[in-house]
Amino acid sequence: MPVTEPVLTRRIPTAPWGDPRDRRIIGYDEYVRTGGYETLRRALTMDPSSLVQTVKESELRGRGGAGFPCGLKWTFLPPPDGNRRYLAINCDEAEPGTFKDRLLCDYDPHLVLEGIAITCWACRLDTAYFFIRGEYHHQAKIVERAIREAYEKGVFGGRGLMQACDFKVDCHMHRGAGAYICGEETGLLEAVEGRRGWPRLKPPFPAVKGLFGRPTIVNNVETLAAVVPIVDRGAAWWKSMGTASSIGAPGSYGPKLMGVSGHVNRPGVYECDLGIPLRKLVDEFAGGMRAGRRFKGAIAGGVSMGILGPDQFDAEMDFDIGRRYDVMGLGTACPTIFDDQTDMVAVARNISRFFSNESCGQCTPCREGAQWMYRLLCRIEEGDATTKDLDLLNELAGSMGIIPGTTICGLADGHNWAVRTILNKYWAEFAGRVKPSYHGLTVSAGRADGVSSARIVGATGA
Amino acid sequence: MAWIVKPSATMKTPGRAEPYLTADHRAQYERDILPRYADRQGALLPILHDIQHRHHCIPWQAMREVAEFLGIAPSEVLDVVSFYEEFTTEDHRRGKYTIGICQSIACEVCGHPALLDHLRARLGIEPHETTDDGRFTLLAMECLGACEGAPCALINEDRHDNLTIERLDALLDRLP
Ligand SMILES: Cc1cc2nc3c(=O)[nH]c(=O)nc-3n(C[C@H](O)[C@H](O)[C@H](O)COP(=O)(O)O)c2cc1C
Ligand code: SF4
Ligand code: FES
Repeated sequence: MPVTEPVLTRRIPTAPWGDPRDRRIIGYDEYVRTGGYETLRRALTMDPSSLVQTVKESELRGRGGAGFPCGLKWTFLPPPDGNRRYLAINCDEAEPGTFKDRLLCDYDPHLVLEGIAITCWACRLDTAYFFIRGEYHHQAKIVERAIREAYEKGVFGGRGLMQACDFKVDCHMHRGAGAYICGEETGLLEAVEGRRGWPRLKPPFPAVKGLFGRPTIVNNVETLAAVVPIVDRGAAWWKSMGTASSIGAPGSYGPKLMGVSGHVNRPGVYECDLGIPLRKLVDEFAGGMRAGRRFKGAIAGGVSMGILGPDQFDAEMDFDIGRRYDVMGLGTACPTIFDDQTDMVAVARNISRFFSNESCGQCTPCREGAQWMYRLLCRIEEGDATTKDLDLLNELAGSMGIIPGTTICGLADGHNWAVRTILNKYWAEFAGRVKPSYHGLTVSAGRADGVSSARIVGATGA
Repeated sequence: MAWIVKPSATMKTPGRAEPYLTADHRAQYERDILPRYADRQGALLPILHDIQHRHHCIPWQAMREVAEFLGIAPSEVLDVVSFYEEFTTEDHRRGKYTIGICQSIACEVCGHPALLDHLRARLGIEPHETTDDGRFTLLAMECLGACEGAPCALINEDRHDNLTIERLDALLDRLP
């Protein structure tokens, strides 16, 4: 059964169910009037472990990029020992092409707060930090106001609404300050602790040793928002949307916010079934390709994931996409679409610049490799490189990341996949921009003096 | 890009007689910010945001005062200031208006380079520079999380979407 009604966008008019021009901020009163905080109220009468069980059964997978099963992550927490336990809400959303969490913050912040409160009850956490990127000035104000309202009404702070049980949760806003790496969960923890956002080596995982050395759950904004309808309507209902895996992997259930950008007629965030073919997302939701042009490729879901090539327009947007279409994964499910006039060398150069700007500098392969790849790509773009440079680029890219085992965090894997997939899926375009590394050897035999003359024509190798 | 340049620990930094953290600020931080964190260093980012907002930079002396207030080393404060793009040292004081043009992928394929080139010409500065009169700082920023409105830009705290050179000019002309 496909998504037949808006779930996360229930209060945010979104095509095809509503007109985005009707969007406005849903305050506490309106949220409650439309059934808000009822799920929390009910959850608080339930045993926390049964809530964890429900989320586990729903097979909700993290919406922040890695797609890790949410319920499973929650079970990694040690049992409460009477000391602090934290929830860190990841609203860094700095992955180029991604703008879905912003929609929830912009218009329905209480949905996220309700998800936070339920999660804190389910996992027995007492303090939540809403980590929001520094550039989201406007969104920080909206969420901050919502948090204040929630305190006043007793959702947080252990007063009023929730007096019936020992539910006492604090929720604080913590603003980032312009560093993509703080979206990585342990970089985020460092930023909350007042340090530079250098990711930590894992293990220990945050669930065991996170903020201030205490157990911490890190979840994405959209993941937490999804907890509300799951607890409200059950795991079976959630699993009626989306799709099972076609390759025997864990399924991709539920609706997903997908932000479409680039060369389409109606860029924006749409709520769709996981598994929707990209072509359908573009044609039916995003109004088709701009100016009637042809599809040339798409960033799968944030630049870290790599690219879907010209023949992959029908790729299904679910968590199997990585294995089926040679990209890293679904990521944030926010595709950026490119038309047939797009210069793919420039796309690779742009993305490489991003990663070289945002590498935190901790691991040599990432820090140096990023700069090196960026410069190589600039040279290729300017027509100043040779065929050998393409091989070098492939080799360099393939050597950096957690998967090859050379770095601490996944930023380098993102750079690796982005560059390698673009290069290999558009090899001819790259090859057409470089000079040959080697030229033929012309040997003219039989000179009068008996010495053969070998002439090397313009050897430009490396 | 904290790993490129760091002043040496022995550097001399300017200061002034009047403190940056007044008794009022300290009281306000103690009341509103510090209780939120398990230790005092946790309050560093919120406090730096406040100072950057008021002074358009984090003055050297303010770094020392914050360090003393939170009970951490001044070098730890500098470490954080130099790591995060939003914080700038005194020698990179931001102008009255910071114009940050998004240069990431969706904005590039939707035409950000023309906007950036136009501003370079109009303001006579390169990205990450400030006009001599201290009015404008130009930044080339990474994805602002508003790719549906590409190309877009932040002018101080306000985001503007679907920009053209004409709209950008009109926005700048209207700034007080
Ligand atoms: C370099 C890097 C950047 C990331 N940025 C974000 C981000 O902006 N927002 C986010 O939710 N997750 C981000 N993640 C993923 C987080 O590390 C983490 O997996 C996620 O927040 C967990 O939440 P979820 O399980 O609910 O998805 C990033 C990961 C890496 C390696
Ligand atoms: S991989 Fe890159 S971003 Fe991640 S910790 Fe290492 S240097 Fe930092
Ligand atoms: S790429 Fe410019 S806002 Fe995302």
